[in-house]
Formats: sequence, C-alpha cells, structure tokens
Amino acid sequence: MNSDEQLILEFQKGSRDAFREIFERYREPLYGFFRRRLENPARAEELTQECFLALIRNATRYEPRASFRSYLYGIAVNLASAEWRKSGREVEQVENHDCAAREGNPDAALWVRRALENLDKADRQVLMLREYEQLSYSEIAGILRLPVNTVRSRLFRARMALKEKLMPVQGDAQRKIEEPR
Amino acid sequence: MNRSTQHAFEPEEIMAYLDGELEAHQASALASHLEHCGECQAVAAQLRQVSERLLDFQIEPCPAKLSDRIVESSGQEEQSAPSQSAAEKKPNRRLVRGLAWAFYSALVLVVAWMAIPNLLRSKMSPEQASALARRRIQQEGTSVDYARVGPAVPPPAKPSNGRTATGLQTLATPGIATDSNGNFHGLGDHAEGIFGGMPGATAGKSEEAEKAQGIEAPEARGPMIVQTASITILAQNYDQASAQIQPLTSARSGYLQDMNANSQTDSARSVSATLRVPDRQLEGFLADLRKLGHVEQETRNNREVTDAYIDLTARLKTARATEQRILQLLGTRTGKLSDVFEAEQELARIRGEIESMDGQRAHMEHEVRYATVQVQLNEEYREQLNPESFSTGRRLRNSLVEGLGNLAAGITGTAIFVFAYGPSILFWLGVIGTPAWFIWRRLQGTQKKDSNQAV
Repeated sequence: MNSDEQLILEFQKGSRDAFREIFERYREPLYGFFRRRLENPARAEELTQECFLALIRNATRYEPRASFRSYLYGIAVNLASAEWRKSGREVEQVENHDCAAREGNPDAALWVRRALENLDKADRQVLMLREYEQLSYSEIAGILRLPVNTVRSRLFRARMALKEKLMPVQGDAQRKIEEPR
Repeated sequence: MNRSTQHAFEPEEIMAYLDGELEAHQASALASHLEHCGECQAVAAQLRQVSERLLDFQIEPCPAKLSDRIVESSGQEEQSAPSQSAAEKKPNRRLVRGLAWAFYSALVLVVAWMAIPNLLRSKMSPEQASALARRRIQQEGTSVDYARVGPAVPPPAKPSNGRTATGLQTLATPGIATDSNGNFHGLGDHAEGIFGGMPGATAGKSEEAEKAQGIEAPEARGPMIVQTASITILAQNYDQASAQIQPLTSARSGYLQDMNANSQTDSARSVSATLRVPDRQLEGFLADLRKLGHVEQETRNNREVTDAYIDLTARLKTARATEQRILQLLGTRTGKLSDVFEAEQELARIRGEIESMDGQRAHMEHEVRYATVQVQLNEEYREQLNPESFSTGRRLRNSLVEGLGNLAAGITGTAIFVFAYGPSILFWLGVIGTPAWFIWRRLQGTQKKDSNQAV
C-alpha cells in the first residue's frame, strides 16, 4: 500500500489513479472537517470540492518535506479561514438541529457541538484538528504556525474546558488537576 | 499540597502520553507511574472520557456526487496540464521569489539614487549647495553660474581658414545658426543671407572679453531666499513704541517702505508699516520689535527663488551674447540698407529684453538681500472718562440748531411724502370711499325711516 506522499508524487507525474486513491482516502475526513466547521452542508461539500481542486492545481508545489496530511489540511484550514473572512463572521459550529448526527445519540452530538462553540476559537481549532482530524502536535503546529508547546497547552486548556462542560464534577481528582502550580 | 511535589508528571504530560506525543523514555516512566498512582489514573480517565465524548459529534457521510465531480475535474486538469514534473509544470517558486526581490531591490536603488542628492542638498551648507548647483548646470550644458555670472558663449570653436568648415553649425545663442556659407538662420528670415562668408562666425569670445562685457553677479551665496515676516504687537506705551520703529529700522541698515497710522478719537491707535531690512539683520530686527510690546501674532515665510534666478541669469547672458554678436556683425559686415535696418531693429528688441531682464534680476536680488517685515503696532486702549468739552450754552444752542434742522427735515419729508403719494391716496380714497359713503348714507336713511315708523 502506497503512502500518501508516494501517491501525490505519482500524481505529480500524471497518475490519475494515484489521485483517485488520495481522493478515496481523504474524501470523508475532509468533508467532516468542513462539515463540523460550517453550518451549511452544501457549502461544506463545495469547500471539500474546492479543497481537492486546489490540491489538483497545486499538486506540483508539494514538496515531500512535510507530510501530505499536513499539506492537505493546511489547504483546508486556509479555505475555512477564507470562508470565515468572506462571510464576515466566525465559521461557527453547526447550530442546525436538522444536521444532528445520524449515528449515536443526537442529543449528545448537539451537546458536544454547543460545548465546542463555547471554547476559545484558537483552542477549538487545535482541539478539533487533534480529535477529529487526528493530527499530531507537530502537524498542528506546522499548519497553524505555532510552537509545539503552544499547541499542547492550548489542547490541554481546551480539554479541561470541555471536561467542565461535558462531564459532571467527579471527586477530588477533578479538583486536584486544577490546583495552581 | 502542591501536585508537583506529589507527582513526577503534570496533567499536561499525561495528556501528551495518552496522545502518544511523549518521548519513549518519558512515556515508559509515566506508564509505570500510572500503574500505582490512582490520582493520575483519574486524570487520564477524565481525559479519555473527554475524547470519547467528543466522538459523539459525528456527521453524515459525504455525498456521493462529490466523487464524480472531483474525478472529472481531475481528468480535465490532467488533459490541460501535460504530465510533467513539478519543476517543469510550474516556475520554481524560489526563482520567482528571487526575481521579485531583485525587482524590488532595483526599485529601491533607483528611488534612492533619485532622492539622495536632494536630501543631501537640503543638508548642505549654502556654499556646498551653490557648488553643486554649478556642477549640475555645467553638466546640463549651460555655463550659467548664479553665484558668478560668467561668459555666455560656449567654448570657442577653432576658426578654420576664416570659415566654418561644414554644414549647419549651431551658435551659442539658441535659435541662431550659420550654414556652410556663414549665413544666419533663426534670427528671423530677414537676417538670413545678409552676412555672407563670415570667418569664424561661430567662434566664441575669450574669457577676458566675456568678463569685460559680462554681468557682475552678486556675491557667492547659497540658495536665494526671499524672506518675509509679519508681526503684530500690542504696545502699552504706544507713543514710545511707534516712535522707535523708524530708529530701529535705521539701526539695522533698513528703511521704511510704507507706513499707515490710524488715530481716531475714542478708539485705540495703530500703525501699520512695511519695513525692509537686510536679510542677515532680520532676526535681530524682529527681536528688537518684540521688545516694543506684547507680540500677538508673528508669521514667517521663506520663498526660494534660486531656480528662477538661475533661469533669468541664463536668459540674460544669452541675450547679451546675441547683442554682442549682432553688434559685431553690424560692424564688420555690409549688406543692403534694409537688411541693416532690420538688424538694428532686432538689436533694439534684444536690448529691450536685456533691460527688462536686468530690472527683474536686480529686483530679485533686492528682494533676497532685503527682507520684508510687516509690522502692525496696536495701542492697548484704555477707555477714558472725558470731561465735557462744551459749555451748557453751547450745547443748548447746538440742540436748538439740531431741533430746527430736524423740524425742517420733517416738514420737507412730509411735503415730499404728500407730493409723492398724495394723488394716489386721493384716487384710492375716491374709488373706495365714495361707494362706502353712499352705502353708509343709505343705511343711515333706512334707520331714520324705521325709527319714524316706529314712532
């Protein structure tokens, strides 16, 4: 099985199959990336398409110094930021109740969305890239142009904030985590 | 108790461990710590729970139509772009960036090359600026030196057997040229062909000759600045202050250009004067003026006329050179009387221009040498209780005369009004009043009749 980097290099040489393979691998994750950040599912679909089109147009710019995942999600983050600037407001989390998750508990999904909306924007970006896109700290740092330690502290802060919102207070261990150092 | 004293690992490190982001040796140490530390196990459990709860946020699958569109787009891109390597398809980004940097660097250099001489000049001493101006003028092919106006004729051409060698040769004076026969062109068609075969017609004059007939320029100086100042002073002792204006001006080798005094009864007196003082005395003179009272307003204005002076001087030199050349030609050449007459007319015209430019130049130099100071001196006015200056009898008489005058004016005005509007008033009274009178009479008659009947 070829790695992402091998596939994109093959695509640079003109292999259409390589691109198809990349597309199959990242179609759902990329759609999920935009879907979780945009209210409008049609717009999320369009941005997914734009992201792949940008990849096609700029595939020649890819240099195998960074991971392909970082490269692709870097494009996606830029597109989401552009969308935010264009709409003049933050790319909010989904608020439409009709878009509730089809799997699992819809109420729980809504609860999570609300909790995410209440996070700091920068913290939320880091957390979502980690939890949903499964990017490593260094990959997130590369995409957001932040030091790795900043990524880690933001991630921790976001998780602690979410713990407050998503879970009831549990015993002494809970409180001891928050003790000032 | 502080958590760090009890645990070797921070919660953030536990989080990194769970995310697989710790170094191997730290991870193994933390794993062994977690085995026996219940508190850290609780932290880890909470972090895991957070991640698990986040997974509840699932979204619907990606629409299938997206697949077709993207794959189609991929095919179109493939067709439009041949399968080449990255370097062949797109220009190298580093190369583009390098070219952009080179372009901007060149742009900055050009701007600096254009701007730095001006900046330097603004910081130069007057002498340096003057020298720079001379060099620049010489580079531009004009031998004008505003500090010392020298010969106007360009470097003398070597005479060759008494005639100019070949073709049309331009003389020092713009607009005048000789052809291969030495005939003039450019001084009007009438001058052409008069002076045939002039040997050395293009030869310039020697430096000494130019100096002899040249213009003695003002002493070398920097940029020529026309200075003007305006000062408004409120003087407590107006008489003393106004009397000092003239002496102060004379003491600074200046002079009074014009003066206008205003001294009305029951109001503050003032004097407005235009004074001229040597430019180098301006600061001291203004300091003297400030001592006359409270300065209410002071303005300064400097206007540079260096370029205008250089231009005027160049045109003057050119005109002088032309004058000399015509004189020389008139003295050495023969021709028809009408041609000579026309040349004399041209000479008169040029001399007129020279006189005019001389005047302008002298005026400009004077404006530079003597600064203009506009002084407005106002008295600090104090209202005074004036005793009655007229006696009671005189006042009564004056009142009587004024009353008679008012009476006469009233009679005259009434007469004028009656004559002017009387006919109109009578007319309209007749038109409106007569019917009204008849109606009133009839009403009165009716009332009497009713009363009689009642009786």
